[in-house]
Amino acid sequence: MSNNPYIPMPVQIAKIIDEVDTHDIKTFRFSFLNKEDEQNFKYMPGQFAELSIYGKGESPIGIASSPTQQGFVEFTVQRAGAIVPGLVTSALHDMSEGGEIGIRGPMGNSWPIEFLEKKNIVVVGGGFAFTTLRSLINYMLHKENRSRFGEITVIYGARTPGLLLYKDELAAWEKRDDIKTVITVDKGDETWKGRQGFVPAVCKEVAPSPKNTVTVICGPPIMIKFTLPVFFELGFSKENILTSLEMRMKCGIGKCGRCNVGYKYVCNDGPVFSLAQLEELPRDF
Amino acid sequence: MLKRIAIEKISQLAAVLMEKGTLLAPVKEVAGHNFVQILDSQKVDLNFYNTLMSPKSAFFPHKEDFVKYKVGKPLAEAEPVLLNCKPAFLFGVRPCDVKSFEIMDIHFNAAGIIDPYWRARREATTIFGYAYDISQPVDSADFYNTLGINAADPEGSDIFMVKKDKELLLKTITPKGEKLLAELSALDKVSTADEKYFEEYIKKGKEYKTRFNCVDSEVVAKKLESIFDNTDFWTKMSAVCLSCGICTFVCPTCYCFDICDDNMFGKGTRSRVWDACMFTDFTLEASGHNPRTQVYQRLRQKVCHKYSYHIRKYGVISCVGCGRCTRQCPVNIDIYSIIEAALKA
Repeated sequence: MSNNPYIPMPVQIAKIIDEVDTHDIKTFRFSFLNKEDEQNFKYMPGQFAELSIYGKGESPIGIASSPTQQGFVEFTVQRAGAIVPGLVTSALHDMSEGGEIGIRGPMGNSWPIEFLEKKNIVVVGGGFAFTTLRSLINYMLHKENRSRFGEITVIYGARTPGLLLYKDELAAWEKRDDIKTVITVDKGDETWKGRQGFVPAVCKEVAPSPKNTVTVICGPPIMIKFTLPVFFELGFSKENILTSLEMRMKCGIGKCGRCNVGYKYVCNDGPVFSLAQLEELPRDF
Repeated sequence: MLKRIAIEKISQLAAVLMEKGTLLAPVKEVAGHNFVQILDSQKVDLNFYNTLMSPKSAFFPHKEDFVKYKVGKPLAEAEPVLLNCKPAFLFGVRPCDVKSFEIMDIHFNAAGIIDPYWRARREATTIFGYAYDISQPVDSADFYNTLGINAADPEGSDIFMVKKDKELLLKTITPKGEKLLAELSALDKVSTADEKYFEEYIKKGKEYKTRFNCVDSEVVAKKLESIFDNTDFWTKMSAVCLSCGICTFVCPTCYCFDICDDNMFGKGTRSRVWDACMFTDFTLEASGHNPRTQVYQRLRQKVCHKYSYHIRKYGVISCVGCGRCTRQCPVNIDIYSIIEAALKA
C-alpha cells in the first residue's frame, strides 16, 4: 500500500474471462503498472482489495488469484445494479483488456494458513462466493505447498452448469489425484453429465470425517444455513468451521466505521472468522 | 508560564495568531457559536457556553479532498490533494472537547494504519483549551463528569485558558504551548494573585458537577452486550428517533465517513465526507442485504459503538459528555438516559 492509504495504485486489465452464461460475472486479471506497487502488493488467500475507478467509486472485492501466481492479480466481479446502482462493477464490466483502473490493498486477514497446515481441508462453496476459496485451493495445490496440507476435498455447487465459475480449473482439479473435487448443480441441463443436488445434501453424502479436518465455507446465506447443521452432525467443532463475512465497506482499512460487527471491523479483523469467533459477536450482519 | 490578556483585547491576540498561521476560534453565527477560520480578528467571541458543532472538523473536516482526477484518464494524471499544513491554532476549546481529540487520536493516529490527514492537521495545530465558566450554572445536557472529565481540566491542551473577570489567564501545558506563548507579544505579565487564582480555578473545576455520577465503563460495556438482543428495549428507546443523524454530526467523537466521487464536465474530486450510522443505506450491501434496516438497530449501533464496542477495541468510551447530541436532537433523545435505562434493563 502506498504512503497514502486512500490513493489507489494503477493497474491494467491484462485479461477478461467471461465466467458464466448470464455474462454478469467476469474474472479480471490485472497487471501492475508500477513494478514497486506489484512488489508491495503481498497478499494471502482470503484477502480482498478495493477496486477503484475515478468518477465511479470503489468496490471491495475478494482476491481470486493465488499468491503463488506471479505477475498479476485476479478478481472475479459480479455486475451489481439490481438493487444498488452498481457504478463500479458496471463500469468495470464495460471495460476492455488494456483498460486502466486503480487498486488499494491488500486488505483484511486471510484464510489462516498456519492453522490449516497439517490438517485435512474441506472447501465448501456455493455460486459466486467461490472466489477467495479458489485462491486458497490454488495456493494449497501449488507444488511447493501441497505437502503442507492433508487431504483436500472441494464441494462446489451452482444453480445451473452455466453458472459454475472457473470451469477449466474445475476440470483440471477433477483429473488430479491429490484433491477430491465434487461439483454439483441444483438443476442440470441436457449436456450436464455431473451430479445434481443442493450443496447441503451433497455434503451429507460426501460426509467428510471431522478428524483433524477444517471446513472452509462460503456461499449464499441460505446455503450456509442448511450446510452448517450437516457439519455439526458430522462432528465438526465451531473452531474448525471457517467462513468469510461480507459487510458494506468504504475505506477498507478500519477507519470509516462502516463494516463493524460488534467491536470487530470486518475489513481489518476479518473478513475470515471461525464460527466460534462469530458466536461471540452480536447478530448484526 | 502564565500570562494574561484583557478579554476586550482578544482581537489583538487573534491578529498575532493569524499572522503565524490559521486561526480557528468561536464566532457567533445565527443559531449560535461555532469554530470557524478567522479572517477578521474582531469576530473572535469568547462569550459562549459551547459551540453548536464540535471542533473535530479542525482535524477531520466535513469534506476532505483526496485526489483530483479526469474521468477516464490514466491514474498517473490524477493529482493527490496535498495538505497545506501551515501552523494552525484552535482557540477556546472546552475541556471535554479537548478530551475528544485524544479519543480520536487512538483511532486515526495510533491504531493500525495511520490516517495521514488527521495526523498532519493534528501535528500542525496548537490547542488553546478554555475552562468552562464555573461561576455559571452547568447546562442540563452536559454529563462530562460521568466520563471523568472536569470543567477546568487542562490535560490535552497546549495552552489552557481560564477567565478571570474581564481578563483571560493563559497557562502553558506542553512544550509546544510554551514555545508559542513565549513568542506572543500581545500578552501581559501576571501577578502572584493571578497565579493563585488560576490554581484555585483548576481545583474548583473538579468540584463543578454535571449531571450523573461516574460510571464503570466495563460494567456499561458488559450490560450493553447482554441486552443486544432485547429488541423491546431498543425499540422503546428509539421510538421517536427520526434517523436524522444530527447526533453524529455534532458529536466530537463520531468519525464514520463515506468516500465519494464528485464529477463535473469530465473532471472530478474524490473526497471523504462525514457519514452517519443513523442512515438507512449506511450498511446497504450490493446484494441488497442490509443488516440495519430498522431504526432501533441503528440507534443500538450508535449507543453500543460508543459505550461498548469502542471500549472492547480501544479501551475507552467514545463519548466525552459534551451534551451536544442531547441539546440538538429534534426529538429530545438523550444518550445518557439510554445508558441509565440500559443499566436497569
